[in-house]
Amino acid sequence: MLAPRIEAFLRSRLPEAADITVSGVYRIPGGASRETWSFDAAWRDNGAAVSRGFILRRDPDASVLETERDLEFRVIGAAHVSGIPVPEVYWLEEDASWLDRSFFVMERIEGCETNPTKVLMDPGLFVHHGRISGQLMEILARIHEIDWQGHDLGFLGVPADESACGLMEIERWEAIVDREALEPQPVLRAAFRWLRRHQPRPAQRIALVHADYRTGNFLCDPEGNVRGILDWEMAHLGDPLEDVGWFAIRPWRWLGNELVGGLMERTDFIARYEAASGLPADLESVRFWEVLGNVKLAAIFLTGARSFTEGRTRAPMMAFLGRNVARLELEIMDLIGV
Amino acid sequence: MRPTGLESLRGLQAALAETLIPELTSVHAQDAAQTMTMLLESLAAEADTAVADLTADIVAVERLLENARALVAELRQRNDKLGAIVSEIDGVLREAGDASLTISGLTARNNRLRAVLERLLCRLEDLRGESGSEGTDALSREVYRHLRRVALRGWSFWDVASFRERIVRARAELSA
Repeated sequence: MLAPRIEAFLRSRLPEAADITVSGVYRIPGGASRETWSFDAAWRDNGAAVSRGFILRRDPDASVLETERDLEFRVIGAAHVSGIPVPEVYWLEEDASWLDRSFFVMERIEGCETNPTKVLMDPGLFVHHGRISGQLMEILARIHEIDWQGHDLGFLGVPADESACGLMEIERWEAIVDREALEPQPVLRAAFRWLRRHQPRPAQRIALVHADYRTGNFLCDPEGNVRGILDWEMAHLGDPLEDVGWFAIRPWRWLGNELVGGLMERTDFIARYEAASGLPADLESVRFWEVLGNVKLAAIFLTGARSFTEGRTRAPMMAFLGRNVARLELEIMDLIGV
Repeated sequence: MRPTGLESLRGLQAALAETLIPELTSVHAQDAAQTMTMLLESLAAEADTAVADLTADIVAVERLLENARALVAELRQRNDKLGAIVSEIDGVLREAGDASLTISGLTARNNRLRAVLERLLCRLEDLRGESGSEGTDALSREVYRHLRRVALRGWSFWDVASFRERIVRARAELSA
């Protein structure tokens, strides 16, 4: 159903191309905040046959997040030219007449795995965990070095100063809980009070924060090379340690033990990030960002639950996620020591 | 005898897993069906005990608020700010009990109580360290122990993944 409409769109964007055909359109599982589709396109360019794989990210009917669609497009573009492994982005289309909702199109990186269970448990990848861990921390450090001013990313919202990063995120997510919660949230409210009392040390620099950097959001080839960092829609400017805390939260450990990201001992994780970035990772600040990370994930789930309850989506994922906030509450109570 | 709600949910899960999912060709549809299976598991884990759990929660929170009222009323003589929470506790405890045992009715009552509990925790934190407030820490611990018990209930997909070892430990701690 989508193929002829994508073909029409490509004809408008590739006026020199002849005989454009689109095939192999399928929706990639996951993506509770934005639909992700894969497709193949073939055409003739000055008589030569061209064939390419693409990924299309389309706004959903309802989401666990309300983000500006051009944010992710622009940030991935800046990351790409900064040498971060990301898919190359091609077109952003806000005219809903093409595919009912806004979308953007980017390169498909071939032959990679992103599923955390496979990355962590496949024997072929298991042997590369040390190398994957090293690459992930090096790439994260490079993201935090991106010249966001030079790439004109100030539209993401610049914190007033280095000491404002923690409060900015507290206020962002507290407003979402205020708006989305369907029931009293005594644990989340206690967490917000704890966060206000335990704000992190001033950020060592104001950096581009990926904000969803974790196992499950990178593409890894069979040789253990990290080929792409995905899901940039929550990117913003802030404290680099925010990404460190988010990577470390329990929901992204996957294997059920204490290995951070399912990959590294905690001390190894901190040491690798510090060595790659040159930034000391103050452990109390990291704890602040871990608490904030769990609260943020709960807020995201509450947003999905409200969308489902109010009938804006019938996706079972939204109902299901809303029923998992309790485990985050447990983790938060552990972290804040109550 | 007809199948119970729980047996019916298990039947739906089996039908999805054995009949529908193997026939699905798109990975997105397979993923959605697997999510439905997990949603059904989450519902099944609560189905039989939902009324008992909600009733127990209501009794537990009412008891916590009664204890809090006695403690806070005493402190109120030295701290005017506590008047509002005492009135709130009185109000919610005075509410005419709803004889209904519907899950929606019990949930509504539980939510009203939890809303007061939420604000009580905030007041208890404000009091920490003040003279005469020694009992508030013990009360806070009791409240969080209740919230932990509630947060540990049911089934989450994380129980077999990211939270696997943590949940085993937490359940052992709670039953100790």
